[in-house]
Amino acid sequence: MKKLQGIAVSAGVAIGEAMVMDTEGFRIPRRFVARDTVEYELERLGHAIEAACEEIARNRDAVSNELGEKYGAIFEAHLQILRGSQLREELEELICERHYSPEYAVSRVMRRYAEVFQKRNVADIVDIEKLLLRQLLGRRREELSRLTSPVLVLAHNLTPSETANLDRRFVRGFVTEVGGPGSHTAIVAAALEIPAVVGIGPFLTDVSGGDYVIIDGDKGLVILHPDEETIARYHHEAEEIRSMAVRLEVLRDLPAETADGVRVEMLGNIEFPYEVDHCVDRGADGVGLYRTEFLYLGTEREPGEEDHFQAYSRVVRTMAPKPVTIRTFDLGADKVPALPPAEDEHNPALGQRSIRLSLRHVPMFRRQLRAILRASALGNVRIMFPLVSTILELRQAKMILADVMEDLEEHHVAYNRNVLVGMMVEVPAAVMMIDHFVEEVDFLSIGTNDLIQYTLAVDRSNKDVVWLYNASDPAVLALIDKTIRAAQRKSLPVNLCGQMSGSPVYTMLLLGMGLRQLSVPPSAIPEIKKICRSVTLADCEAVARHVLGLESARDVFSYLKGELKKRVPEFGT
Amino acid sequence: MDQPRLTRTVTVANRTGLHVRAALAIYNLARQFQTQVEIVMDRQRASAGDMLHMLSLGANPGQELVLEAIGPQAEQALDALAELFAAGFHEDDPQTGRR
Repeated sequence: MKKLQGIAVSAGVAIGEAMVMDTEGFRIPRRFVARDTVEYELERLGHAIEAACEEIARNRDAVSNELGEKYGAIFEAHLQILRGSQLREELEELICERHYSPEYAVSRVMRRYAEVFQKRNVADIVDIEKLLLRQLLGRRREELSRLTSPVLVLAHNLTPSETANLDRRFVRGFVTEVGGPGSHTAIVAAALEIPAVVGIGPFLTDVSGGDYVIIDGDKGLVILHPDEETIARYHHEAEEIRSMAVRLEVLRDLPAETADGVRVEMLGNIEFPYEVDHCVDRGADGVGLYRTEFLYLGTEREPGEEDHFQAYSRVVRTMAPKPVTIRTFDLGADKVPALPPAEDEHNPALGQRSIRLSLRHVPMFRRQLRAILRASALGNVRIMFPLVSTILELRQAKMILADVMEDLEEHHVAYNRNVLVGMMVEVPAAVMMIDHFVEEVDFLSIGTNDLIQYTLAVDRSNKDVVWLYNASDPAVLALIDKTIRAAQRKSLPVNLCGQMSGSPVYTMLLLGMGLRQLSVPPSAIPEIKKICRSVTLADCEAVARHVLGLESARDVFSYLKGELKKRVPEFGT
Repeated sequence: MDQPRLTRTVTVANRTGLHVRAALAIYNLARQFQTQVEIVMDRQRASAGDMLHMLSLGANPGQELVLEAIGPQAEQALDALAELFAAGFHEDDPQTGRR
């Protein structure tokens, strides 16, 4: 048994067979073969070795001709390794005696050699392994879309296109060697509502496809080759989570309402259009944050107006007449291959991203706005601009929007003239000037992930300073408080999205501070609703008053945990 | 026919140990003779006719190895191999590691 600690990015527990993808996306699918196919598998192995030898010989000849025999020598070495009787015998024995699949046998044997070899030879052995696997598997990189049984995906990293093509019916969890809380894997796992752990560090050499693995998405743990006792414990835990979910399911059609009758709007955060179904299943009051970034990821070209429109209309139609708040483009230029590469992005979090990039590339921005406006004719759409820092930025964005509206009008394209326009509050400068902003928007949405990062000047994917990144920090709470009060003075709706709203610890505080809308991942809706229904507003307001007088994140967090345990014991873990 | 079985002690004299290129040099040299050569390191034994075998020894620089040869050309094979070891597999030669 081996326990590995990573970063927890999507909650839940998954137990099952590993599907290992290495840095090149090779997959080791089956572990065992049937007794009566052993002959056939041996033949496959033989063909694979032959084909791999031919490929190496071709490389050797090409390199030798071009650069001289000396440079071809390394291929000659690979060829002789592959032709050696020891390797062949070992592989055949594993297939005959233990009924390993040739793929599994290759990965096991090669991994073992990689371990005993001196460091300098490991790359050679890995090369040979890849070559053999490529021959055995035939095609590469499509494997995630061709699953036939449930798997936990273990990879160095997952690209947007790989995750986009995966077969959602069979993927039960993700583990990646690299990546942080904002990584693509994290977002996709949360959207699929399956557990995920990222940033584990190198570990793929310790595991083969078909190995039994546990992913603990709550603690950020991955357990390889778990013992019986651990498996039993996690099965029990998974069962508890399931039964809790069943208990919460009865809340589906009940309103999110405090015990003393104050209605709270429970909205969903989504990334992919299909997640709108998760919102409906949980009885959400709407979509509070529809991130549109997936449209730009994993494709070589910039999405066209029609691509946007198809995605938006699916969400808007499904949710109607409930509201859908669509956030405009919120990425850096590095994620959009169609845009010219950024020149000075030494510090992307402070660079040209999000609304800044939209204002810089107006045609791209207009395409998105046109699609959103067209979708506004199909249901209840709201438009939201991210990362607004100054009032001039907001005005510029609104001007472009007005211009696009005029354009649609001229061409007699249907859209909702009275579509609500709001902004994300996630830059401290915007909070400081919030009294001016509330004069020019229809609603506010507080984005805590960025607000925390910019307020405390901390990068949450940097493990050395991540301890500073804390939603409980009094400075962050003071900014949230200021924003809510400014909105209340103008009777503007104010929402809070970001991870803070989905964490049960903060629900009482946020209600007590005056929020009546919470936008959370669809999977968190039942829990947060349960808390709303278990507390009174009077209690929440008392909690908020107390918290706003505290001076450290630690005091705030432990007080909030204590209060939650007192009021809603089921969540007091 | 007489099958002499000879042994010779050699030292891994290059800077990086018995790695892929060194193993290839041994392999290529050994197969030129009508003889079977095995390399013995402590209690491990590897055939000079199998690259993977030799690499599995993981012999470091300075490691002493015993070469065992059986066959009509055992003497010549050991002479040639001993020279290869002594020359540090010709890795520091200006031209190339191969003879």
